[in-house]
Amino acid sequence: MTDIRSHFHHELSDLEQTLLNVADQAEQMVGMAVDAVCLPDMELAARVVALDNQIDKIYLEVHDRWLTLMARQQPMASDLRMMSVLLHLNTTLERMGDQCVNIAKMAQITYGLPRSERIIAQIREMGDLVRQMIRTGVEALVRRDIDEALLLPAMDEPVDRLNRNMYREVVECGSDPSLLEWAIRMMLVSRALERIGDQVVDIAEQTAFLLTGEMMEFNEDGILGTD
Amino acid sequence: MEMLEKEEEIELTAGRPPAPAPPTERVAVQARDLSVFYGNFQAVKDIDLACIANQITALIGPSGCGKSTVIRSFNRMNDLIPAARVEGQILFDDVDIYGPGVDPVEVRRRVGMVFQKPNPFPKSIYDNVAWGAKVNGFKGDLDGLVEEALRQAVLWDEVKDKLAESGYSLSGGQQQRLCIARAIAVKPEIVLMDEPTSALDPVATLRIEELLQDLKQRYTIIIVTHNMQQAARASDYTAFFNMNSDRAGYLVEYGRTEEIFTKPREQTTEDYITGRFG
Repeated sequence: MTDIRSHFHHELSDLEQTLLNVADQAEQMVGMAVDAVCLPDMELAARVVALDNQIDKIYLEVHDRWLTLMARQQPMASDLRMMSVLLHLNTTLERMGDQCVNIAKMAQITYGLPRSERIIAQIREMGDLVRQMIRTGVEALVRRDIDEALLLPAMDEPVDRLNRNMYREVVECGSDPSLLEWAIRMMLVSRALERIGDQVVDIAEQTAFLLTGEMMEFNEDGILGTD
Repeated sequence: MEMLEKEEEIELTAGRPPAPAPPTERVAVQARDLSVFYGNFQAVKDIDLACIANQITALIGPSGCGKSTVIRSFNRMNDLIPAARVEGQILFDDVDIYGPGVDPVEVRRRVGMVFQKPNPFPKSIYDNVAWGAKVNGFKGDLDGLVEEALRQAVLWDEVKDKLAESGYSLSGGQQQRLCIARAIAVKPEIVLMDEPTSALDPVATLRIEELLQDLKQRYTIIIVTHNMQQAARASDYTAFFNMNSDRAGYLVEYGRTEEIFTKPREQTTEDYITGRFG
């Protein structure tokens, strides 16, 4: 196979690799942000904020490179779909970084307050699930594997369930104002993790679009449906 | 020849996997099992292609794939090549234009053609446009006809004060629009364009592409282009041609332009338009 657009395809691969690296970084940031809350660890919280600044910088660079490629190379077919996916992925990863910062800020705000070990355990469980989702979502994209992408809605379901359950855990903390303040902040942490889970499902939908050319919404059963 | 009135559901593929949703719009001209030979050499093989009325169909593909041969078959231009031979049919209003008793001159009046390089006659701008009507014995308002054709070709405002000047006095882009005006002045139903902008600068090219969008309201347009971006910008349907190991051109895939350039069904199409050649 001769590739007469090898320079363009090299650029496209390089852009994809840049974003895959950001996805790896986002996965690590989720772990650090959860640790910052659960240990708690203010140094880790500050590192999450610093790493998000890096992601924001890369976001702008990728956007510029994307615009240049689009204007100069005018991609077609699967290349065009890949460009669409990369634009979407860039935005999604930038927002995932922002959610990690939201979690880190909650760690800073709640530092020194009394805590519920049950809620801590639940936050840890959500963090582990979301990190696994990111790894699976990235792997599906790298392998161009729609079956693996289709795993994501089912993986997201326990994250959603834990997030819904967090309300009850917070109510349990009702008698102690300081504990309640901490617990209400943890609802926001839970919400941020739930949002990251949804964003990974979005990435899986983009992988499906790349492979099929059809834009689809994944439902809770993982069954494809046209949006 | 009567115009085809009934809506006809057409098959857009050439012995390939079926198109997901074949259009049911009116077919203006249709190649059926078309093969063209130059002596012993088969230039194109078994082409089935139905061009939709009042739409722009772009024929794309690598050099030598037969797209110009196909477009020239639509108005019997290949008749002018001594060793050329055609098999199959070109149906225009349900009549095979290669059938017995069909006058090729009448075919070419109803199916006009614009060529790669602007080729105005060595005559005035006015006479270039009026020429076809005069040859056909037009007895009406010749001034009005010339003005109408030049307006449709979006050239009138630029030449209305110098109609007596030579067609050669115009720029390349203007000359090509003059040739388009000349083609449409005889009221064809179909306008064939064989790489009509390949000799023009980018601004003149975009003018022609804009013009095509106006012209398709009145005419069915079939355009051969080497410029895939032009096909993507300007056409409604795209037919991708390739050639076999014996160098006979064949139709790989035909469909809505947005489908061809975003999610082609055939890997061969995908490879060609993304620049990967086997």
